[in-house]
Amino acid sequence: MIRATTGGVLKSYRSSLMNSFISMNKSRNTVLSQRNFNSYAEDPAAAAKAFRLRKSRMTVDSQHDICNDTLRKYQAGFSCLQSIDEVLDTSGAIDGSFMNTLHGATLSWLNDPNGDAREQLTKALDQMSESLVQTMNQKYGDDFIFAGADGHNVPFEIKDNKLYYRGVPVDAMEPELKQDNGNPVQTDDGKNYVLDSAKTVDVPQYQDDPANPGNPLTVTADDGTKYYVNDGATAPIDTTTYDALTDEQKKEYTIIPGATPPTDNKYYKTSELTSEADHEKLLNSVLKDENGDPITATINGKQCYISDATPGIISTEDYETACKDAEKLKYLANEKYFVDIGLGFQEDENGKLIESSGFNAALNGINFIGYGLDEDGDPKNLYSLVQKMKEISDSVPEGGDWKDVYDDFYRLVQKFEKGASSFKTEFTNLAASTDKLEINEKLLSDNFYSLQEQYAELEDVDMVDALTSFLWAEYSYNAALKVGNTVLSQSLMDYLT
Amino acid sequence: MGTLGTFDSFTTARLGIYAAQHGLRVTGNNISNINTAGYTRQRIDQVSFKTGANDRYRSMMDNHVGSGALVTGINQIRDPYLDIRYRNTTSDTTYYDTKLAGLQEIASILDEVGKGITDGDDMSKGDGLLYAQLKDLHDKLLEYSAHPTKDNEILVRGSAESLTSLFNKYADRLEKLHQDYDKDFNDNISLANKVLANIRDLNKSIRECEINGDNALEMRDERNRQIDKLAEYMSIKVEYSMEDVGAGIMVEKLTIYMGDSNPDPKVETDSSILVDGLYCTQLSVPEQKPVLNQYNGLTQEAIDKDPNLAQYAYLKDYLYQKEVPLTADELDGLLADGITPIALKNADGTDKTDADGNQLYLMGTNDAAAEGIITEKNDNYTVQLGKLLDVHDKEWERHSTDWTAVTGGVVGEKAKYSYTVSSQNWDETANPPQTFQIGNNTYTLGQGGFTAAVANDPAQMAAFIVREMNAQGMNPDYVVTANGENIVYTAKNAGLVGGNNGGPAAAPNPNVQNGQNLISLTLGDNSPGVDSVPPTPNPPTVPEAGTTIDPVTGTETTVAYREVNGAWYKITMTTEHTHEVALDDNDLYGELQAQREFLTEEGEFCSDKDRLIDENASIKRGIRYYQQAFDLLAQKFAEAYNGLNQGVMLDENGNEMESVTGTLDELRSLGVNIKVAEKSPGGFGDGYYVDSDGRFVGIHEGTCELDDVGLTVNDTLAEAFTKINKAFPFDPPVDETDEAAVLEAVKGFMKEHGASADDKDAKLTVKKPIPMGGPLFSNRNDNDDPTGITAANISVSHSWSHNAVKLIPKFEVLFGGDIEHSTQNTNADHMVSMIDKALTYDPRELNGSDATGPILFEGSFNDMFSYIMGVQAKDASETNVKLITSSTTLVELDSSREGVSGVDLNDEAMNMMQYQKAMNAAMRLMTAIDESLDRLINNTGVAGR
Repeated sequence: MIRATTGGVLKSYRSSLMNSFISMNKSRNTVLSQRNFNSYAEDPAAAAKAFRLRKSRMTVDSQHDICNDTLRKYQAGFSCLQSIDEVLDTSGAIDGSFMNTLHGATLSWLNDPNGDAREQLTKALDQMSESLVQTMNQKYGDDFIFAGADGHNVPFEIKDNKLYYRGVPVDAMEPELKQDNGNPVQTDDGKNYVLDSAKTVDVPQYQDDPANPGNPLTVTADDGTKYYVNDGATAPIDTTTYDALTDEQKKEYTIIPGATPPTDNKYYKTSELTSEADHEKLLNSVLKDENGDPITATINGKQCYISDATPGIISTEDYETACKDAEKLKYLANEKYFVDIGLGFQEDENGKLIESSGFNAALNGINFIGYGLDEDGDPKNLYSLVQKMKEISDSVPEGGDWKDVYDDFYRLVQKFEKGASSFKTEFTNLAASTDKLEINEKLLSDNFYSLQEQYAELEDVDMVDALTSFLWAEYSYNAALKVGNTVLSQSLMDYLT
Repeated sequence: MGTLGTFDSFTTARLGIYAAQHGLRVTGNNISNINTAGYTRQRIDQVSFKTGANDRYRSMMDNHVGSGALVTGINQIRDPYLDIRYRNTTSDTTYYDTKLAGLQEIASILDEVGKGITDGDDMSKGDGLLYAQLKDLHDKLLEYSAHPTKDNEILVRGSAESLTSLFNKYADRLEKLHQDYDKDFNDNISLANKVLANIRDLNKSIRECEINGDNALEMRDERNRQIDKLAEYMSIKVEYSMEDVGAGIMVEKLTIYMGDSNPDPKVETDSSILVDGLYCTQLSVPEQKPVLNQYNGLTQEAIDKDPNLAQYAYLKDYLYQKEVPLTADELDGLLADGITPIALKNADGTDKTDADGNQLYLMGTNDAAAEGIITEKNDNYTVQLGKLLDVHDKEWERHSTDWTAVTGGVVGEKAKYSYTVSSQNWDETANPPQTFQIGNNTYTLGQGGFTAAVANDPAQMAAFIVREMNAQGMNPDYVVTANGENIVYTAKNAGLVGGNNGGPAAAPNPNVQNGQNLISLTLGDNSPGVDSVPPTPNPPTVPEAGTTIDPVTGTETTVAYREVNGAWYKITMTTEHTHEVALDDNDLYGELQAQREFLTEEGEFCSDKDRLIDENASIKRGIRYYQQAFDLLAQKFAEAYNGLNQGVMLDENGNEMESVTGTLDELRSLGVNIKVAEKSPGGFGDGYYVDSDGRFVGIHEGTCELDDVGLTVNDTLAEAFTKINKAFPFDPPVDETDEAAVLEAVKGFMKEHGASADDKDAKLTVKKPIPMGGPLFSNRNDNDDPTGITAANISVSHSWSHNAVKLIPKFEVLFGGDIEHSTQNTNADHMVSMIDKALTYDPRELNGSDATGPILFEGSFNDMFSYIMGVQAKDASETNVKLITSSTTLVELDSSREGVSGVDLNDEAMNMMQYQKAMNAAMRLMTAIDESLDRLINNTGVAGR
């Protein structure tokens, strides 16, 4: 500058003083707000990063909460299963405590041929099975632990000694139907299906009475026994022919007296006749409809009755219900609901969750205590098994011999042990998942604090630096003020005399 | 004068005193004005006074001595270069300062750094309001997902309402900011106009002062201050020139142009004149601007109908006639569309092209009303310069003339005839007497002064002829002179005798009556003349003569050719007229342009048209950008959640449910969307239940399913009748032409089979597809219209707020509702995930946007908001750096200017002392002279007395 003028110097000073004041004010704000930046524009990169970190923290916070909730639920579930495991314990020796387990009680039952403690044991079985169900109905917070994806409703319910899981009988299974050329066999009235276990009897065919068409031909023997003549029977022989037979041959015939015996007697082969009593007996051993008529079905083109010795038919409605129930059970056993515990939780392009990215938090009670029927038709469910044992036990009269039911009971005990083993496997799986959740929860917790620290480092001011900067700015400002005094004070004018 | 006059010495002393007094006065004035804004220090122009320099007879021994000092004027000390730099930097600084101020206003609305506290958790302090509200919504949805109860839904709704309020508030504040800036911009236009008028008025005053011999320094200071102020509003270029005001007086003229700020070299409006001496323009921002012109043939209707024309839509934006360069492809496109632009020609007939050689075409018109030009809202704040007017509203004009020598053409020659005097044999004694005729008079030799001596003397004879012609009042085409022995008749004008180009009408024919041909024509002097022929037009250097008027500017250009001294010249006379100018988008710079950009720029939301106007439009972001970015965020948010809350009922396998049956309450609790029909066009179904698609919902009685009929609330009566009659023919048949009967029949059918809203216990059956849910957000909280949602209008929908629409936790119904899955709320989970889901923000998707730009951003709602803030922050940060740089420069330049023009007390103290001493000395001189004269007068010659 060639020439410095009073006005120029003052302007320059004003500008510098303002800058100094702005600088001091900024430093003061930094100290007061305790933040490295108070607007996005002050440090766009840091601000953007801090916001990203805050967003991550929010996500991790949410994941942590969910993981923590899930973990607590699993831990509560673990405790429940542990108590059930004790009740189911199949490993202990027979001692005093042994009686406190279901397995122990069943073994005691088997070892009680005289039935001294049978009643007590039966009651114990009943009570322990009920307590097993109650334990499976435990809640964590507001939700039932083992209710799968229906945490708000009690999962297990006992109605008429039958156990239901979320309204579905746990013993439901799709009935096996008799097949005819690959199609299920229905009764001829179309109201029922014929079960695969059904025993069938061909419907007997009799010759039609020519005198009374539409009715079977009936003949009456000497002793008054009435017979139906089987369809396809050989024609009766007359007395002359009969008399020519040997005695041995004659034994094969039944004599049907004519109007003028013996001349007009007729002789039918006994094997080709069916007595009315036998016919009635047959009818009495087969299933009948609501009108008392035998229920028939056609298999391989032949009409047959269905024996009532075993469950032979199932109504179409019941069948559909059973199928539906079985389907429901299958669905419920495989039901999942996923939560985001920081495994990536991502949906595919169709909005469906990629399962590996979430954690399946559903604990399906029936997977622990079993459901459905096995190949013998016995329940797989532990409660149902025990109830069945109880029924067997109840079927033995007090002081009665249990030999007749021992095998059945023993079979069920073995199946119980199998069910208990499955339970243990599921229990172990849950324990493993609980461990996984614990580790994950800790990771999330660490991550949460780490993120907090990271953005705190970005945002929070270093007080030493901030104060030093402020003091320096203040010092500079004071110095500027001091200089200002000299700017305004002297000129040659002041020295003119 | 070599000798000092007796009292001349007093004059010398007096002039010294005067000069010193002037100096002291100027010094005092400087000191007094040390704090006057814009004051430029003054100094006196002082010269040495000397007389008698031409004293021809002075003694060689006499030496000249000056006669003192004269103050010839008072001047200011300014550095024009510093002024230019200062004003340019002022425009820079105000541009960045205004831009930064705007961005800071945006930041005050959107910047959430350090704002907001959530949960009382210290670590959440500063999450930001919107950020925290989204988190709150996330948490509430999470709770709803775990327990989709009514209470939790109310909490979600409350959170959503807070969020929409936040959106509304931000949008409202942004719009308010826009309104404030709109007002501020218009205020600044008014202020800039005042400054322009002030400068013009000062020009007038200064001019008058100058004519009267006053250099009006104080007014110049004020004018400089006003010019500095003008530079704050816009970039300017200042020029000074001298103007001849007649009587030999030249005065200074100030001309201010716009600062040539437009980076587009093709644009010339950025150098428009703002002030020219006594004239100035005024800025205006018309609310409407004409947008079409007759020349390009485009109409708004045509553009709307034919998308292919849209590519030329930008042409409609020319406010006034303008020269538009078109490439060959562009021209082909226009021609293909039946548009024939007018190709412009230069005055010389050549094609008018721009710097790149593209043909210029005339677009636009100056006469909007006459040519039926439609107008549209001037939403880009196009600034218009008015005509240059003086204080009496007289329009500016500028005349100029240019002479240019041109080659070619024929230089005209004068006809020339002569005769030799000596060959006439004049004889006074001849009989009959010899006569000579001039005009109507016949002169006889020897009579009336026409003697032989005269006749035989060429000089006298020529004078005689001229005199007599004058006496007769003749105005011949020839000039008569004597040349040696000859009398020469020379045509006054060049040109062929009898021609039409200025030559004489006929050759001279002096009638000498002496029986013989007295005229002896000498070869070489018998020339009939040659016509002048201007050069043949040969553009561009030799254009056609004539006057042309520039259709754009109205400038009249007259071209003429003159032959001067045997050479042809092209004379170009130009009269420029003032005209209104619509400024281009980037013509302004400084505060006004920063405000314009802040008001209008849309960044990535700009349209192709915007890019045609300004190729950098997509990287300039003003309030409109932030508003639209925020609108897009709100729109995407609403679309995402409205989409999630609307679907159809699904079974356990994810397939659409065939049907669902239940009472109204049961169905609604499942989320099935059922409404009561109102004001149906057919007038037959009002009061009956319909689903969200408008299908009437039937009563599940097995007798009739309305779904089988397919009646909808939108059916007309005739349509409804046809449908019913087809599915369940009326028995007895109904006469279709009897409208009353048809209405009665259809109403009867509805009464029998429809589900009336009065029957709360009716079991309704809704068949596939079973609509569930409904829009959660709408464009007003008293409707369910999800279209056109912006940040300003986003609201919780009427139906949601009145429980007619439920927040759908899941669309799946397991096994027909036999199995509950209360905690498997997949849709609510989607809603939770949506908060953090990456979405694409495409400006083209914004409702009502004509943006063509690329995708703006991809990320979650929070990310998008952070991105918007980041864009603002980056822009603000960069602008701040530029502002600091330019303001530092400005301070330095101001100091430099002060260094040159400012008053310094030390300086003035020195001057004060200097002039004081000079005055003392001059007074001392006067005393000395007085004493000397006293001695001389009173005390000389007394010796010896």
